[in-house]
Amino acid sequence: MSYEKRVERLQEIVADLESDGLPLDSALKLFEEGIEILRLASDELTTAEGRVQLLIERAEGVFETRDIDG
Amino acid sequence: MRHNGWRLREVVTLRRSFGARPVRSGVEFDLFGSSAGAPAFVAPASPGSSPETAIQVASLTETARAVIEGSLSPLWVRGEVSDFKRHRNGHWYFCLRDASAQVRCVVWSRSQRGIPTAPDEGMEVTAYGQLTVYAARGEMHLNVSALDAVGDGLWRKAMEETRLRLDRDGLLAPGRKRTLPTAPTRVGMVTSPDGAALRDVISVIRRRAPHVSLIVSAATVQGANAPAEIVAAIQRICRFGEIDVLIVGRGGGGREDLWAFNDEAVARAISDATVPVISGVGHEIDVTIADLVADHRAATPSAAAEAAVPMRADLLAALRAMGDELCTSLQQCARNGRRDLETAAGALRRAASIDAERRRASIGATAGRLNALSPLATLARGYAVARDATDRRTLASVEDFHAGSLFTLTLRDGDVMARVAEQA
Repeated sequence: MSYEKRVERLQEIVADLESDGLPLDSALKLFEEGIEILRLASDELTTAEGRVQLLIERAEGVFETRDIDG
Repeated sequence: MRHNGWRLREVVTLRRSFGARPVRSGVEFDLFGSSAGAPAFVAPASPGSSPETAIQVASLTETARAVIEGSLSPLWVRGEVSDFKRHRNGHWYFCLRDASAQVRCVVWSRSQRGIPTAPDEGMEVTAYGQLTVYAARGEMHLNVSALDAVGDGLWRKAMEETRLRLDRDGLLAPGRKRTLPTAPTRVGMVTSPDGAALRDVISVIRRRAPHVSLIVSAATVQGANAPAEIVAAIQRICRFGEIDVLIVGRGGGGREDLWAFNDEAVARAISDATVPVISGVGHEIDVTIADLVADHRAATPSAAAEAAVPMRADLLAALRAMGDELCTSLQQCARNGRRDLETAAGALRRAASIDAERRRASIGATAGRLNALSPLATLARGYAVARDATDRRTLASVEDFHAGSLFTLTLRDGDVMARVAEQA
């Protein structure tokens, strides 16, 4: 799941939790899912190391990326 | 061959005579050359100096051409455009004139590549070209290879023409602008891999959002091939697909250096891109066509990178805030659950007490009805019941009575013993 999709899902979860009439066990499941997504998104920001790569198309639709020293 | 042998030789000698030496000294003229079987004596007259040595028209115009081209290198000429004609074969013809003179000009179609667009009638322009003679007409003309209107007029006009075409196709409509992703993790860039623009973008991304990757699709960004290469690079990275947003740009430069970003094909490729595009062209001119079609316009590649990637610290703060919201809403859920439970319990208690009351009321009503049906109530109203004194059987008929027999009479407040006096 992309970072943006994760954040979208988180927003959905919060909205669902805030809606009335949600059974408590469903609320707990949603909450657990939310915490897990939060952890993954946060990891993505803090542990991922951005790279700089040159895009090369070997043949129509066949791609290769090569690191550039930036 | 444009010239037969002797005519060429004639031109050469005429030209030589025109240039270095007086025409009259004809000593070295050799119109026929020894190989052509020349007469034994050399004519003292130079070509064209007598009816006998009259030269061909073509020789004259060719000589004039050679003289003019030989003595005038290409020049910039200023004047006003008139009689502009675009020929079917693609060449442009016009006159450049001022108050007292005019010169015919031609722009071959192959020379038009470096010229932004055709000039307007009456436009004041500077034209760069070689003055020459067109032999077929015997006319002098300027063979133009570069042209611009005074004050960048032609460049502006070309841009305006492109802008109008794009506008007509709806490519400049504000509604077409896509919003940039709030947190891209992969940024694409179309630029020269050796350019300052790429270095600037890399440093901005490393500073703001070190988790973001940059994918470079390389293109030459200036010169004749630049537009085609930029278009190909945009299409390539869109086919690759694994990017969230695309920066198209280069560092600053002069108007001609940046001209590829005013190219219509580049504009259309930007508009067709599969992800939002940020233009980042270092500007010396106000705005490029690429800026107009891009989803977001930045004044430099660095500014484009800043628009593309939010600060990582801000993203982390936003995540923390969402975590807090998550906890708050779960607590609220629990509170809501407890509240619902209490409400339900209260309702249950109320329902139970209402039920008991209803039962009590119902018992009263039944008792009332039972009471109404009891014969005691009838006795209360003054009736009496006669019953046998021994087995307390109700005596309801005269048949049950005999003269002198004892029976019990039950009244409202008790029994009395009675005896039958005689049969009625």
